[in-house]
Amino acid sequence: MISLLLRVLGDEYATPMRRTVALMTVTAVLEGLLYALLVPVLRALFGDNPSDAGPWLIAFAVSVAAYAALRYTSDLSGMRVGTTMLRGMYHGLGEHLARLPVGWYDAARVGEVSVLASRGLLTAMGVSAHLLGPFISACVTPLTIVAVIAVFNWQLGLAALVAAPLVVLTQRWTARLMTANDADHAARDHEASARVIEYLQAQPVLRAGGRGGERFALLDDALRDVERAARRQTISVLPAVVGLTLTVQAVFTALLVLGSHLALGGDIGSAEILAVLVLAARAADPLLSLSDTGGKLRAARAELARLDTVLRTEPLPEPDRPVRPRRFDLEFDAVTFRHGDRTVLDGVSLSVPQGQRMAVVGPSGAGKSTLLQLIARFYDVESGAVRVGGVDVRRIDPGVLLAQIAIVFQDVYLFDGTIEENVRLGRPDAGDAEVRAAATAARLDEVVERLPGGWGANVGEGGASLSGGERQRVSIARALLRDAPIVLLDEVTSALDPVNEAAVHEGIERLMPGRTVIMVTHRMRTVRRADRVVFLDDGRVVEEGSHEELLRRGGRYADFWSLSTASGVPGAAPSPRRASDGEGA
Amino acid sequence: MGATHSIVDAKRSSPSPGGDPTGRQPASTAALLGPHAPSFAAVVVLQVVGAVAGLAPLFAVIELGRALVSPGPVDTERVWTAVALGATGLFVRLVFTGASSGLGHVLDGRVQLSLRRALARSLGQAPIGWLARRRSGELARVVGDDVAAVHPFIAHAPGELVSAFVVPLVSLAYLLTVDWRLTLITLIPVALALAHVPLLMTAARTREQRDFDAAMGRIATSVVEFVQGIAVVKAFGGAERAHHRFRTAADEFVDIFTHWVRGVSAVAAGMQLALSPPFVLLVVLTGGTMRITSGDLVPVDLLPFLLLGLGLTAPVAALGHGFDDMQAAGRAVGRIREVLGVGVLPQPACPAIPRDNRVELRDVRFGYDDGPEVLRGIDLTLEPGTLTAVVGPSGSGKSTLGQLLPRFFDPTHGSVRLGGVDLRDIDARELYRRVSFVLQDVRLLRASVADNIALAVPHATAEQITRAARLAHIHDRILALPNGYETVLGQDATLSGGEAQRIAIARALAADPPVLVLDEATAFADPRTDQAVRQTLSTLRDRTVLVIAHRLETVADADQVVLLENGVVAARGRPTDLLARDGTFAAFWRTRQEDLSR
Repeated sequence: MISLLLRVLGDEYATPMRRTVALMTVTAVLEGLLYALLVPVLRALFGDNPSDAGPWLIAFAVSVAAYAALRYTSDLSGMRVGTTMLRGMYHGLGEHLARLPVGWYDAARVGEVSVLASRGLLTAMGVSAHLLGPFISACVTPLTIVAVIAVFNWQLGLAALVAAPLVVLTQRWTARLMTANDADHAARDHEASARVIEYLQAQPVLRAGGRGGERFALLDDALRDVERAARRQTISVLPAVVGLTLTVQAVFTALLVLGSHLALGGDIGSAEILAVLVLAARAADPLLSLSDTGGKLRAARAELARLDTVLRTEPLPEPDRPVRPRRFDLEFDAVTFRHGDRTVLDGVSLSVPQGQRMAVVGPSGAGKSTLLQLIARFYDVESGAVRVGGVDVRRIDPGVLLAQIAIVFQDVYLFDGTIEENVRLGRPDAGDAEVRAAATAARLDEVVERLPGGWGANVGEGGASLSGGERQRVSIARALLRDAPIVLLDEVTSALDPVNEAAVHEGIERLMPGRTVIMVTHRMRTVRRADRVVFLDDGRVVEEGSHEELLRRGGRYADFWSLSTASGVPGAAPSPRRASDGEGA
Repeated sequence: MGATHSIVDAKRSSPSPGGDPTGRQPASTAALLGPHAPSFAAVVVLQVVGAVAGLAPLFAVIELGRALVSPGPVDTERVWTAVALGATGLFVRLVFTGASSGLGHVLDGRVQLSLRRALARSLGQAPIGWLARRRSGELARVVGDDVAAVHPFIAHAPGELVSAFVVPLVSLAYLLTVDWRLTLITLIPVALALAHVPLLMTAARTREQRDFDAAMGRIATSVVEFVQGIAVVKAFGGAERAHHRFRTAADEFVDIFTHWVRGVSAVAAGMQLALSPPFVLLVVLTGGTMRITSGDLVPVDLLPFLLLGLGLTAPVAALGHGFDDMQAAGRAVGRIREVLGVGVLPQPACPAIPRDNRVELRDVRFGYDDGPEVLRGIDLTLEPGTLTAVVGPSGSGKSTLGQLLPRFFDPTHGSVRLGGVDLRDIDARELYRRVSFVLQDVRLLRASVADNIALAVPHATAEQITRAARLAHIHDRILALPNGYETVLGQDATLSGGEAQRIAIARALAADPPVLVLDEATAFADPRTDQAVRQTLSTLRDRTVLVIAHRLETVADADQVVLLENGVVAARGRPTDLLARDGTFAAFWRTRQEDLSR
């Protein structure tokens, strides 16, 4: 546990952490030892002259004062180490997250990392601040007490010592049962949670079938599974939890019986046996609380383990001696890329000469976007190589590589800030005039006009106050401002209404000249402006050539377009509906 | 998406426990718990009996002491009786607390299940509009985490709290009979600890707590921003900035936290010290020695205080102990009650049957909650057998208009009529039987393809399903899946965006509705899906169709085009007529036209 904590923390926090643990241990030992003074005090009080207890009582008071000072210090030290650690962990996590490859961040990560950064880190800190002290004291104090008992009477001490291995065993047992069950429980919870989300999102459809009110079987089964898992957990863990209580109580009973026997036989004084039993009661209480503290520690441990997993994820390796590309042609050389166990790209080879445009077309899931992501090195290839200006992207400094690339995504994320700040991300040192010029070129000025607050308007988290098309205009302005030699466009205009599409298109047209461009698209209009077209299916290049060539060839590519030009498009075959409309457009 | 923001939202949206923003009568959690009352009582009684029995061994030691110290020969029988009593007490404690804990946890599982079912029922009846404005992840957290957070309330609190008070009271009563003065002395640590409590509840502390919550919220936001924007961050070198923001938020949080801890921890540590066994024993021994040396107390009577005195601190410790958990549970219950208290869309008392499938909107106005009006007086008639295309810039109210037809919302003014009857007077089932819709946002269930298609028609035959799939151009793709129509989506196979959209279209076709609302907004991801949409529209020629159109082809094919701008109808008519006028419609029509002509 501690070693996991220390690993998560890193070396610099190891020393204060160890010091705190030592302090807590000393405090716990002192607590156990000072109870030893109960014996002389009680002996005096039960004896003929109770006032003899005075000096012993003073000694006890002094020990309690020392204990109080130590305990106070160690409590505060635990808190202090905890908060220092918290700062260190936040910084460490932040730095690490910034270094992880973009490919690591899928949809699920956002939730996971958010939870880690808030609840996870606090839990880890709580270990030092709240859990470690009670846990150490619950382990060490009873042991010390057993030693004290042994000093006064070896038989009783020996009997009490029997508890130690048994307690350790039951704790181990509980932990094992819990861990096994926790995993099961977590899986069920996860399943149920997914079902709830599904149920919520399917509400419109469910209601259309008049099924809004009725119990939805998929969800209800998942909820029942959660209950069953909880019940299984309770039942399977109960023996272990009861086992700890049973052990402690059995040993206490044994001490009571043995003590009575010894006292009746005159082998031990009344005051001693009574003091020993008071001590035994002192040892029993913290031991009984051990299952509670142990449970909390296990929960914290799980959280720490998740943190550890993230922190141990390796960022993409950086080159020792980075090479700077001098040209900006792009090349895929027998690139194979796998995501999980799915082969996304399978031996793809293609090249785009500097200043030319290549369009990538193909059905969804063909690996088109991945192609773009590999150039920006969001991932590394499994085999083969991606080269920019003849240099393998893995040999280029990541910062330098990205500085050569402007990307416009289908789904644009904006930071909570003003439009201007978001555009300026493209080139932070750009002058105001340059920012405005880029914005105008991307027809962002129309958007700014519409917004209350204009340039200074806040776009909200993720850009929520702008529509998808408007966000894209921001990202095009960004790319224009950046003035990078390589431009990557990912299905830029596919989700837009006509007004926005026209605007975005205009922006793109201004962005492309003189740059090396790869665009993923399924808009014929965009494709026709490309120098070359690649038709990708199932991770392979199926056809390659100019638009006209490929159409003439009459293969997959031509098929693809014939689908979308078969009807409805002016100049093509009339659709059934248009026939009734007479002239149409 | 939802889960992404859950932390932020949990912070923002946590109402005070018992708060009921909907203004309806608070949904009673007590009513839900009612049927479990006997089990609750059993848990508490078992726990209390067990805890009190746990005092037996201490009494046994006291009795042993009395027997050993009493003048004359030791009464052996008395000693063994005491020992037997102690052992029995321990055994009773073991059995009863074990039973209580087991029963408590089983009960907990049951209560959680019934709470979750009630929540699911409530969510299944909440107005779609209400659901739409909440993130699914946030609501899933209520059903999942929040219900789980109630655990200490149910499984632990009742028994533990009651015994934390009953056991000390029993001890206290006994100690008072032994020596009331020493009892008062024994209570000194408790009084000292209690004296710390006001220090924890000062105005400054409350303010710090608030700051703490706010800083926590900022961290969560900056993390979400950091992670969600990571691609942009990397691509545009914004890493520094986002990272900086995260660091600032984290530092600020740690500062506030440290400040808070510093304020609280000294007090908390002082309190812990007052309640610590060594200190309590010191007080008892000092008081006892004084009483014994003054001859007011028989030495052996000190024993009960040494053994039971420590237990008197239990209530204070119990109060501090689960306090955070209990507070969290309280907040969770507040959120659960909010969801349980959500009103259902009012259903008509005597439902009317629509005459035909003509849809009329009469002076319809609509705004979300207190927001500005999204629709500002729409008059529109959709004749049966016609296709109406709604176009307009984003934010013009197109999607909202479409959502009024399946009654996701009720208009704030005016009415939406189907076959001459206000939607509010049509039975929900009847309405949904007649109005079907394909939404922007396609959601497939993790269930078989067949179930997904038949979602709105639970008793659909295999032929109906296949027919719909064929019409939606997805039949061949389904046959290529590992188990054909029985393939469980998201588990055995994953579909692409376009394929998912085609399943959604098949869904609407399977329902075979007289009125169809179709929102094209999302990228119909590939030409094949485009074609499926077009085919669907031509198949449904005899229906009343409303399309939120994004593709020019659809607009050209429409019988009626409605251009929506800023919540009002800016232009309407046949596509050709609209083109003849040289308005906005003609403007963006031309843009597209140029692109499509070769």
